[in-house]
Amino acid sequence: MGKKICWVAILCSIFLNVVMLQWTIEAFFGKEFEHVYMYTIIAIASSFIALLFYGKWRKLDKHERA
Amino acid sequence: MVDEKNNQNQRQNQRKADDDMINLVDNLNRSEDLRFNRRAFLKSAVGASLTLGIATLPFSIKAMMDDREEDSEKVEIGKLSELPKGESLEFHYPTDSEPALLVHTKNGELKAYNNKCTHLQCPVFYEKKEEVLLCPCHRGFFNVDSGQPMAGPPQRELPKILLEVKGDVVYAVGREVRHG
Repeated sequence: MGKKICWVAILCSIFLNVVMLQWTIEAFFGKEFEHVYMYTIIAIASSFIALLFYGKWRKLDKHERA
Repeated sequence: MVDEKNNQNQRQNQRKADDDMINLVDNLNRSEDLRFNRRAFLKSAVGASLTLGIATLPFSIKAMMDDREEDSEKVEIGKLSELPKGESLEFHYPTDSEPALLVHTKNGELKAYNNKCTHLQCPVFYEKKEEVLLCPCHRGFFNVDSGQPMAGPPQRELPKILLEVKGDVVYAVGREVRHG
């Protein structure tokens, strides 16, 4: 897995989380609570994935510099 | 290897210009600098993603708390005989902090909505002439039959309050959010 993929994954996760936050707020004010939970789960999972990819990127970067 | 490259870059800079001010760039390690910037940017990106993800959590927690105290109380609004056609009556439902509006339309139908505008929470009024609900703050219009936004900035419909009429008394018996 290359560093580029890590970049793409992290940027995608930001985009996804922006959308999820907006949808969560919309669903919350619309009292669609099931959707609120779902969007939160997706957002947290996406953040976690971003963190994993960042770890991977760091490892690759370290390896590249060594 | 890296040092060689840096020295080469420095030599290139010197060759291009002998001006003292330009040669101040000699103390910069360009490749290191770029790498650091890239890493810092990626760190910020991950931080932003985490922050956005965590920002959705309070809404879920609040939703969980709201879910438990679901409201289906029966509350008396007023007497139908005291509300002629084309008139409206303000009340609060389901809590005292949530203002609502009961409308007796020209057709004789009873409609009730929470009257906080879904745009910026301004109070919504019944416009008898045009048979619409109007938010005067930013001129938002809602359909009196469905509570759906018709014009202006509001995007979501007004929460609909379910009514029950017993004899001459009108009761609020529940609430539908995002109906129709």
